[in-house]
Amino acid sequence: MITLTHIPFVITIVLYLISSIWSIGCIVHPFVFNKKVAKWSMMMGFFIHSGFLVFLGLESSNIPITNVYESFVSLIWCILFVYINLDYLYKLPSLDTFLIPVVTALSIWALTFDGGDLFMNVSLPNFWLIAHIIPIFVGYAAFTISFSLSIMYLTQQRQLKHKLFGPLFNKLPSLEGIDRLMWKTISFGFPLLTLGLVFGMFWVKTQNILGEQWYLDYKVVLGLATWLIYAALLHMRLVSSFHGTKIACLTIAGFCLVLFTFIGTFFMGSKHAFQKMSEQTHEEILNIQ
Amino acid sequence: MSILVVGLNHKSAPVEVREKLAFNANNMSAALSQFLHRYQTAETVILSTCNRVEMYVSSLEGTLTVEDILSFFADFHKIALNDFSPYMYHYKDDRAVNHLFFVTASLDSMVLGESQILSQVKEAYTTATMEESTGKVMNQLFQQALNVAKIVHTQTSIGKRKVSISSVAVEFAEKIFQDFTGKMVLVVGAGEMCELLLKHLYEEGARTIVVANRTFERAQEIANAFQGQAIKYELLGEYLAKADIIISSTSAPHYVIHADQVKEAIRHRRGNPMFLMDIAVPRDIEPEVAKIDNVYLYNIDDLQSVVSQNVDERTREVEKCRTIVDEEVEHFMARLEEMKIEPAITLLRNHFHAIGKEELDRLKPKLKNIANGDWEQVVYTVERTINKLLHNPAKVAKQEAKNGGGYRYVEIIKKLFGIFHHTDPSQQ
Repeated sequence: MITLTHIPFVITIVLYLISSIWSIGCIVHPFVFNKKVAKWSMMMGFFIHSGFLVFLGLESSNIPITNVYESFVSLIWCILFVYINLDYLYKLPSLDTFLIPVVTALSIWALTFDGGDLFMNVSLPNFWLIAHIIPIFVGYAAFTISFSLSIMYLTQQRQLKHKLFGPLFNKLPSLEGIDRLMWKTISFGFPLLTLGLVFGMFWVKTQNILGEQWYLDYKVVLGLATWLIYAALLHMRLVSSFHGTKIACLTIAGFCLVLFTFIGTFFMGSKHAFQKMSEQTHEEILNIQ
Repeated sequence: MSILVVGLNHKSAPVEVREKLAFNANNMSAALSQFLHRYQTAETVILSTCNRVEMYVSSLEGTLTVEDILSFFADFHKIALNDFSPYMYHYKDDRAVNHLFFVTASLDSMVLGESQILSQVKEAYTTATMEESTGKVMNQLFQQALNVAKIVHTQTSIGKRKVSISSVAVEFAEKIFQDFTGKMVLVVGAGEMCELLLKHLYEEGARTIVVANRTFERAQEIANAFQGQAIKYELLGEYLAKADIIISSTSAPHYVIHADQVKEAIRHRRGNPMFLMDIAVPRDIEPEVAKIDNVYLYNIDDLQSVVSQNVDERTREVEKCRTIVDEEVEHFMARLEEMKIEPAITLLRNHFHAIGKEELDRLKPKLKNIANGDWEQVVYTVERTINKLLHNPAKVAKQEAKNGGGYRYVEIIKKLFGIFHHTDPSQQ
């Protein structure tokens, strides 16, 4: 159920959707779909998105990750934040065509988590939370961008291989250029992921928040697997200087694992420091008694 | 005032005729000054490229004919009129303007949409201005032509797609590699096409060039032209893995590069992409190569089919360009009409101010004691009255001129106020 307070996010999604349609449309019909519309609707969406997060934060007096829905919304914000900065630095041509639809799809998915039952244990200390969450989120954002770049790479390589020289072929940059950017985003995200995981490890060790058998938590196990897959990617690039389609496919696999780690684990029954609202209330009642 | 173009191009005349009429950098100035010497009131620009020779002339109505210009060509180049006049075309006024706009926008070129003609027109115009053979009309005309060409090129995709095999090939290479610095280009065989491709790649920044050919001397010849390195043909296999771009055009009747060789090469390259162009017939590179991951193989047909697609694309754009050109011709002709009436309006103004001055001169002695300041006020009032009286007629006349009635208005103004051109004393 969409509550009234989430209207801004719905507006954000609509703006992202417009941006997606225009960013794809401007490739096929550049005279009908203006690229500026795509850019400005995205920026406007991002602006409202930011405002919405501030509102959520003020409401709960915490960083807006107090439930699955909020953390999803924050992650999407991180993706766009990183993208806008990278685009400003590196001028990524046509990446929006590949990234904004992903962002839009994730946003719509996020909306389905609104009103979910899992809430964060509010007594969690703030320092560790920020040190654990922020690097991981920014890292995930970088991986999402590298995922979009991989799709772009595979599209361009397919077009070159099968000699399909349509309007998209002309708009996309060179394989080598995409490959370099992919490498840059992964090598930007990986240290952050590592940092976030290390802080998380310290956190569970010192505060014992995940219980004795913390290493059996799905999120911990899969987080490690994600770390390993990107470590393997970096190794292939750095040590064996590997390029091409294999790297692109592996990057896509890496992103799927990121998504699964982030969201899929909740379907598997992992709570990872979140608690069911009902349990929490039950505990509170017990405490009062 | 009329505009005339007389000339020939690749469609109307064979090269034997075109070369006889062509002007070059050495005799262009002489031609322009000779023409001006002969027809002093005319303005002219001569456009001479390898595909066309055209002379654009503007003169007072009826003073210059096509025959005059033809005979100028004959006299200047010292050839008989009959030798070239059957190949010549000529257009007048709006059709002449249309022709120039069409030519400048590269819609009349041999390769539709090529951009070279734009700079050639610019150069022809600059030369003419330096020789002072242009005036108000030619300046307006050529500046507008260059402007129209820019509009056509930005608003349509007439010049966007590449239409030569070598430029298409380089475009593909650019979709694989970000830049060519540090990339090795391996040339196998030494055909003319190879050289052309190499030239394009070299212009785009490729500097590591290796040439392998059956006859080592020929390989050396090409390598030297591009500061490259010639290798013995037998060493080809060794260089395969190092090469990013391979161009093959040997005359061998069998495959020269085999799939397992390329497979081995790509393994060594750890997935670094390879771009192979097989421009030989019969083919040099085994077609199976195309199936190998990270290898991109194109043969002459692939390149040719893209070229013809792009040519079709350009041809489809011509209609759009024609509409733009037609619109711009209309604008220009309206401006020209407006320009025609300007001298008449100046005459009218001078005439009125002369009358005003005459009357003021008559008045001044009568007002002996008038203060200087007061007299200035009187002069100011008279001039202001004249300007106010003339403001609307001038505006309306210009407006009407735009719609093509300029000439009629000039006549009416002259008749109504009894004013005549100072070069036309017979009517006074």
